[in-house]
Amino acid sequence: MYKTYLKIAFRSIWKSKTFSLINVIGLSIGLSAAFVIGIMIYYDLTFDTFHADKDRIYRVVVDTQTPEQEGHSKGVPVPLIESLQAYSTGIDHVAPFFLFGFDKVTVESGLKEFDWPEDVVIADQEYFQIFKYQWLAGSSNTALENPYEVILSKSRAEKYFPGKLPEEVIGNTLIYEDSLVVKVTGIVAEFEERSDFTFKEFLSRESFRNSEKYGYIYDTSWGSINSSTQLFIKTDKFNSKVAVQAQLDALAEVHKNEEMAALGYFRSFNLQPLKSLHLNDNYGVFDNSSYRASADVLFGLGFIALFLLLLGCINFINLNTAQSTKRAKEIGIRKTLGSSKKQLVIQYLGETFILTLAAAILSLFFASLLLRVFADFIPPGLSLDLLKSPMVILALVLLLILITFLAGFYPGLVLSQFKPVAVLKNQSVLDGDKGRLRKYLTVFQFVIAQVFIIATLLVGKQINYLVNKDMGFKTESIAYIRAPSVNTSLEKYEAFKEVIKAVPEVKKLSIAGDPPASESYSGRGVSYFSEGKETHVQLQLLYGDENYLDLYGIALLTGRLPLNDSISEYVINETLMRQIGFQNPEEVIGQQFKVNNKNIPIVGVMEDFNQSSLREKIDPMAFIQDTQNSTLHFSFQANDTENWPLAIDKIQTQWKEFFPEETFNINFVDEDVRKFYSQEQRTATLLKWATGLAILISCLGLLGLVIHTTERRTKEIGIRKVLGASILQLNLLLGKEFMLLVGFAFVVAVPVSWWGMNIWLQDFAYKTALSWWVFLLSGVSLMIIALAVISIRIFATANTNPVKSLRTE
Amino acid sequence: MLIQLSNIFKWVQQGGRRVFLLKDINLEVEEGAFISIMGPSGSGKSTLLNVIGMLDVFDEGKYNFMDEPVHQLKEKHRSALYKESIGFVFQAYHLIDELTVYENLEMPLLYKKFVGSERKALVADMLDRFNMVGKKDLFPSQLSGGQQQLVGVARALIGKPKLILADEPTGNLNSKQGEEIMALFKQLNKEGVTIIQVTHSEKNAAYGNKVIHLLDGRMEKK
Ligand SMILES: Nc1ncnc2c1ncn2[C@@H]1O[C@H](COP(=O)(O)OP(=O)(O)O)[C@@H](O)[C@H]1O
Ligand SMILES: [Mg+2]
Repeated sequence: MYKTYLKIAFRSIWKSKTFSLINVIGLSIGLSAAFVIGIMIYYDLTFDTFHADKDRIYRVVVDTQTPEQEGHSKGVPVPLIESLQAYSTGIDHVAPFFLFGFDKVTVESGLKEFDWPEDVVIADQEYFQIFKYQWLAGSSNTALENPYEVILSKSRAEKYFPGKLPEEVIGNTLIYEDSLVVKVTGIVAEFEERSDFTFKEFLSRESFRNSEKYGYIYDTSWGSINSSTQLFIKTDKFNSKVAVQAQLDALAEVHKNEEMAALGYFRSFNLQPLKSLHLNDNYGVFDNSSYRASADVLFGLGFIALFLLLLGCINFINLNTAQSTKRAKEIGIRKTLGSSKKQLVIQYLGETFILTLAAAILSLFFASLLLRVFADFIPPGLSLDLLKSPMVILALVLLLILITFLAGFYPGLVLSQFKPVAVLKNQSVLDGDKGRLRKYLTVFQFVIAQVFIIATLLVGKQINYLVNKDMGFKTESIAYIRAPSVNTSLEKYEAFKEVIKAVPEVKKLSIAGDPPASESYSGRGVSYFSEGKETHVQLQLLYGDENYLDLYGIALLTGRLPLNDSISEYVINETLMRQIGFQNPEEVIGQQFKVNNKNIPIVGVMEDFNQSSLREKIDPMAFIQDTQNSTLHFSFQANDTENWPLAIDKIQTQWKEFFPEETFNINFVDEDVRKFYSQEQRTATLLKWATGLAILISCLGLLGLVIHTTERRTKEIGIRKVLGASILQLNLLLGKEFMLLVGFAFVVAVPVSWWGMNIWLQDFAYKTALSWWVFLLSGVSLMIIALAVISIRIFATANTNPVKSLRTE
Repeated sequence: MLIQLSNIFKWVQQGGRRVFLLKDINLEVEEGAFISIMGPSGSGKSTLLNVIGMLDVFDEGKYNFMDEPVHQLKEKHRSALYKESIGFVFQAYHLIDELTVYENLEMPLLYKKFVGSERKALVADMLDRFNMVGKKDLFPSQLSGGQQQLVGVARALIGKPKLILADEPTGNLNSKQGEEIMALFKQLNKEGVTIIQVTHSEKNAAYGNKVIHLLDGRMEKK
């Protein structure tokens, strides 16, 4: 029985090659998107799922509540560690660690130096009680008990001590920053499963107990938080989460800052389950620079995959119900020979499954292409190899079955309903079927395609707007070079500046902190008193020398620059001025802020400008003269980039003379600004692809329907032609019904995309307008694409010799 | 009694009016009979045959097939009944174009859940009997009309039905091919198969032992 089914399936698939091909290609595109996106989601959902007792492992995090906003930090105050270690109940292990970036490490035996060792943490033995490593040498029981010990991961040990066995590495000495001498006491294998715990060097915390330089590792202040200080705990075997939380609440209460609380600033310590470590946007994983998964992004991707798959399935349903008359005879005969409806539906599903399987195989090929396209979204270490894991295979099989049902069940049902008598009498078998479902589905396809087009255009428009909007300061032709973080005196950097000043292509220079707009934020809370009332203001600080504002073209509205860097004076921006109740810049001069019982006068007012991406509004800000965070900013003489390489070469040569050990790194401010929107750029790339694929699949489907219509109406077309209809008239006649569908889809898509884009734009303080012409443009372009698809086919049909088509009827 | 139709009416609703396709049909068919149905085009011959073959329903009356009341049977039971006992032969042959001669013959056996070896034997028998062994791998489109109808008859016979219903089996054939089919029917009838055929030709009707005349859905008394 199944063998004949299979035969019939292959033969009828072959017989309608065009439609089978359209189905398979459309579906495989959808499937490949689903594969890629699926493994991306799978990849991110399967981090750190292998730890023993993983449900009992938590990170302690800090959440803050201020009158303006909520804050989230993965770092905790250091004394919290000691408090939990000393008094807590319901906790089996308290494991703090400190992410630490050393400048260099020396391997003593060979006197080899390694710069910037990565993945270094300072931890204690508890870490290895919570996270179970495989020990190649040494043991978790004694690990990091004493000062001046270090545990290395296998790969790190091989890097530092090439060719040595783990046992031979034990006992060797490493020297950090020329002064911290530690002994290797253990080697662990890195986790083979996906994990965010990729640390490779573990220094014992004890080593830092009396260190002044690394004082914060035994900091005693409850008030300060550093995001590199992280605390993991493992609850007892009853997983007494509630009890632990109660203790954390009590600690937060005891150590709250009364002054801040009075102003509405609250802080709480909370437990973050290990399983939400990887995907929680609020806290981030460990350090911010590494790849971060975002639940929102995954959600968006999931939606795109779903839509593309749906589009492919719709092609299936549409083309197969349209083609069903061709199968009607076979169905009728089968029924008279005793086939039941169920058997027919199963047979049909089987055929659909074969096509789905073919599409799946083809889509593996497409998927490898797509992986390259989505490279920006894809974390390193993700590849199609993931498709081999049993969970993914199971999911794939289920997906294929689901698609088979989605795509094949309805057409199968339609077919099996055919009345054999009617079929065999050659009556129309589709009396009730005016193709209404087909029309709905086609409209649905084109709504999706249309929404994608509109979204792509609007996201592009917004990015364009963001990148090109005047930030309020000069961004073109300005570059900056950060001073080396070690071994640099300000004097040396000043001398470097003087040399660069002499480069003829360089126009203006300034030694300062960050550029006016950057990802980094340094700020402080200050108080302002007026008429006996205290206002608390959180303001952002901008550091620079006397040339800074001039270099960046930031106008001083009134007053003067701070006199020098030894006294504190503020030049505030207009937003800050308004926030403390002044409208006129002249009047605010001479007012004072109070910081730590010190008065700081306002000596000038500068123009407002955007201090970070245009997602954010302008913050209250003060400029102070300070050159401690030495970064050299300079502008080029000419705006044309032609002679820049020459200038940069000269600067680099000087750099090499001054800092021979340090790598030269130059940043351009306009590039920085563009980088603010890399997330949006990625969204745009993704949308472009999704749009292209959606249009492709939908148009394939449309083409199939047009072919079907023209085939069905060959005779009519022939007669009309014999009677004198022109090709254009025929085109109009046949194309009209399809264009109506596309037009209707546009009408539905406009409000949907308008609503969606409004939500997306809510994240931005500065938004582009949702102009009507964008909608119109996208509508017209889709119409043109659809029209092209329709016309190609209709022209071909209308051009055939009518006598021929009439004879074959 | 193989078939017993009493007071069968069938109608369709057209423009608010009942249009009768069959009116008060009373018919008894003994096992082993060879009956020909005649009548002008549109008189309801095919409709009657389809009702007898349980492919079509009727609106009033009683129909007993091998003493089972067809009008009261559930769809499933009815389909099992005709699957077991009835073979159809059509004017337009109605072979499945995608299957070879062999596979077309095999198909009814599949629906009757014969096992592979039995199917092989039965199909081989049929091919032998109809002298089509050499053609078993051809597709219907590669055969002449007469050959296709032979396959059609063979397919109807392969499940060893009690009754063969043939709707103008020779309508698309030339007279020589037609005669062959009729001779075949005669032979089958001798072997005990009951046959009901629709035909326009007096000559073909003469092969049978009883003729029924239909006019406007009503049986004419002769
Ligand atoms: N489902 C139906 N609806 C309306 N009229 C029908 C239907 N089936 C058959 N008829 C009509 O009933 C009459 C008898 O049809 P049929 O049995 O095919 O005639 P015959 O086979 O004798 O030529 C014809 O006029 C035909 O048009
Ligand atoms: Mg007829």
